[in-house]
Amino acid sequence: MSPLLVALLRILAALGLMLFNGVILIWMLRRVLGHLHLRYGPIHNGWQGLLQTPYDVLKLLTKEDVTPSAVDRILFALAPAVVFTPSLLAYAALPFSGTWKITALDTGLLFTFAALSIVPIGILMAGWASANKWSLLGGMRSAAQQIAYEVPLLLSVLPIVMFAGTMNLGTIVEAQSGTWLGFIPRWNILFPGFWPTFVLFWIAGLVELNATPFDMSEAESELVAGFASEYSAMKFGLLFLSEFSNQFVISALGVTLFFGGWMLPWVPVELVAPFAPFIFMFKVYLGIFVIMWIRGTFPRVRIDQLMQVGWKWLIPINLAWIIVFGTVWKLFTLGQGVS
Amino acid sequence: MIDARNIILETGSLAAEGTYNPGRPPASIKRTPSGVDGLTTEHLIINMGPQHPSTHGVLRLVIEVDGEEIVAAETSLGYLHRGIEKLAESRRYEQLGTLMDRGDYVSGIHGEQAVALAVERMLEIEVPAKARYIRTLMAEITRIASHLVWFGTFGLDTGAMGQFLYAVRDREVLLDILETVSGQRMMFNYVRPGGVVADLPVGIDAMIRSFCDGFDGYLEEHHDLLGGNEIFQHRVKGVGAIPRDTALAFGLTGANLRATGIGFDVRRDRPYDAYPELEFDVPVGTIGDAWDRYMVRMEEMRQALRMIRQCLDGMPEGEHTARVPKVLRVPEGEIYAATESSRGETGVHIIADGSVNPARFHYRSGSLYACQVLEEILPGHLLADAVMIVGSLDIMLGEVDR
Amino acid sequence: MLPDATAVSSALAAASVNAEIEQTGPGLVARISAAENLTALEALRDSALDFRMLADMFGTDTGEQIEITYHLRSLTRDEEMYVRLLVPYDGELHSVWNVYPAALLPEREAAELLGFVLAGHPNPHRLFTTEGIAPLLRKSVPVRTAEEVRNR
Repeated sequence: MSPLLVALLRILAALGLMLFNGVILIWMLRRVLGHLHLRYGPIHNGWQGLLQTPYDVLKLLTKEDVTPSAVDRILFALAPAVVFTPSLLAYAALPFSGTWKITALDTGLLFTFAALSIVPIGILMAGWASANKWSLLGGMRSAAQQIAYEVPLLLSVLPIVMFAGTMNLGTIVEAQSGTWLGFIPRWNILFPGFWPTFVLFWIAGLVELNATPFDMSEAESELVAGFASEYSAMKFGLLFLSEFSNQFVISALGVTLFFGGWMLPWVPVELVAPFAPFIFMFKVYLGIFVIMWIRGTFPRVRIDQLMQVGWKWLIPINLAWIIVFGTVWKLFTLGQGVS
Repeated sequence: MIDARNIILETGSLAAEGTYNPGRPPASIKRTPSGVDGLTTEHLIINMGPQHPSTHGVLRLVIEVDGEEIVAAETSLGYLHRGIEKLAESRRYEQLGTLMDRGDYVSGIHGEQAVALAVERMLEIEVPAKARYIRTLMAEITRIASHLVWFGTFGLDTGAMGQFLYAVRDREVLLDILETVSGQRMMFNYVRPGGVVADLPVGIDAMIRSFCDGFDGYLEEHHDLLGGNEIFQHRVKGVGAIPRDTALAFGLTGANLRATGIGFDVRRDRPYDAYPELEFDVPVGTIGDAWDRYMVRMEEMRQALRMIRQCLDGMPEGEHTARVPKVLRVPEGEIYAATESSRGETGVHIIADGSVNPARFHYRSGSLYACQVLEEILPGHLLADAVMIVGSLDIMLGEVDR
Repeated sequence: MLPDATAVSSALAAASVNAEIEQTGPGLVARISAAENLTALEALRDSALDFRMLADMFGTDTGEQIEITYHLRSLTRDEEMYVRLLVPYDGELHSVWNVYPAALLPEREAAELLGFVLAGHPNPHRLFTTEGIAPLLRKSVPVRTAEEVRNR
């Protein structure tokens, strides 16, 4: 097949995955929150609550798209696209198995973060264009929060890059095959040196996702729907979808960097290969379940408290940890005679 | 265990220190352009409400913000004004309870009690012991129900949605109890001058006891989930602190006043119904911030539970109401009677002129004064804090607007 | 619970306020003139009687005039009293907010629902009803009968 056709099919596959993910996550969110919060309705819509998703999707598709007259029309229409497209881009470097990936980028990790960092622009556009003071506040908060936590997010994964020697996500996953001492899988999460890394990545990731406890930009009880207040129907659907797909991406990154990607512990790579995508998806959805669990339990942090933690605590801790880890790792490799 | 760090369980002290001397009125809303190095900025004037997920009822707060910091705030009321005081002048004394039900609709029994007490004192009716105990029992059950609403919505304001639904789950049991006793989940019309409408039904004792036994554990769980959460504590500690003299000068009552350290509780200091015979503590805070108000109300729920058990254990035999004429005609006179409602002092001032309708019926509610104090304490806080402060003051618009 | 009548009258006299003390109705009532409300309330608050809390403030339509009642409370001495004054219809009453800021909203409510003018108040605008609504608590303003509501 011509490379162009293959590329096109891969892009369509990514789009399909994104939509499929959105559908699954609507159901999962309703179900998880339903059980956590004793909300009985969504759990009983159809068998296991599966009808909830069609209800939600149909509702969004058939709603009237209301555009308030005072909005900045171009920005208002463009903002959901600017929020949605980078989320789609971020799927490019994720390794679903040894051979299943949209593309094998040598700078995959950097590319994914770079794609995700375009999202705050879209949110700011949405907040500004909405001609609504509450949306403006939501957009401003979101921009401040996400820009502030880009740096800790990037810094937190540097030790892994040092350890694996590459930013290629596929290579990082393959480096986690095998075992230490014969019985401990080489997953990065099980290496004590990466525990601070994981915690820092987790916190920064949650902030980037605009997920509770860091969802000030869409704080339901303060700003109605924050930056998305004035959006209805499919524009809102796009914003919604991109939020779900961001959750998928961050969870997938976490799985790839720390939990061995598509691999199973102690099972050789060749046996796993046919099931690899399913294992990967299972792990990713487990991660998303934890995100939703946290969302359903914790109250919200205040924006200024969040900014203080980000700038005054997370960045210095990240930098310090990189120095410590880098020094120890360099000494270790020198001692091993491996450069 | 509920952290008793800031709770002083006192049985005395009505003292307050200092005198509040405002040098200026609460800041009024105005657009003020301000300049910094040639860059002009303007304060944003935002409307919080009347439709807003966090103002409890149709409260409209006009807030002037500088970025995220509140510079001035103004409460705009009247969205729920139904003219209760005017309507009361064409109602008979037996019907006034229904109007009070619709004031503070979450804790209707307290309002009905206030009216009943006022009429009984004017007519010098002696309420039989059993009726007094039943009224106290219902009042404390309503107090827990109301505090659960406050607790749930307070958690909802912070973004913790689960706590709201857990609180509602417990409140459903209480509403079932209230429905079994009075026939209604909300507008009870149960407490009347002279006693209560009907005796307690058979089996209610077991129902209430089973709730009490479960609720001890649930209350700890609620407190763990919300108050024990460090994010919540950071949102709430030090926020919205009301100094004692300010609280007194603004006429605050109830948990809002007790959180500042002034231990005035109508149940203990102007006792009515069965309260003189019950043993309970009155929790008092120290600095009057949102955390203190939270702790005081959580402890009040525990004390209410204690009182419910005492009422059940000590329920006397007797009539559920005194012999009261069908149509009450109150001779010329005037009285003020107050009860400790979940929101403060709910008082009723009736001026009677000898006919079957009151000449003047004034409804003194605790939430009106809480609305006033908002204008005083909001400036200087962040916008997110405004939500927490409004939530912690437990304002119910029904009794503010009447 | 009832304050000492002589203490009250001497506190008021010290501020040169003409007051009539009576012990009827709801308790101890001090009747003063509308012009002296600020001085009287200030005197009562700062005196040894320590009435530092305004528990309630409301107005009544007596048929000829408006009778304003201030309900004062002293928590340190556990006493309560009332201060009453008369204001003519559409007359003027000076706000007591800088003695008792608790009066801010109740004064607006009374002024709006009974129809008098509030002076010296930082925000003397309508509180509960919209423009054009008559002062509802006046006896002359009727409550609509069911007939009128049906045929609205």
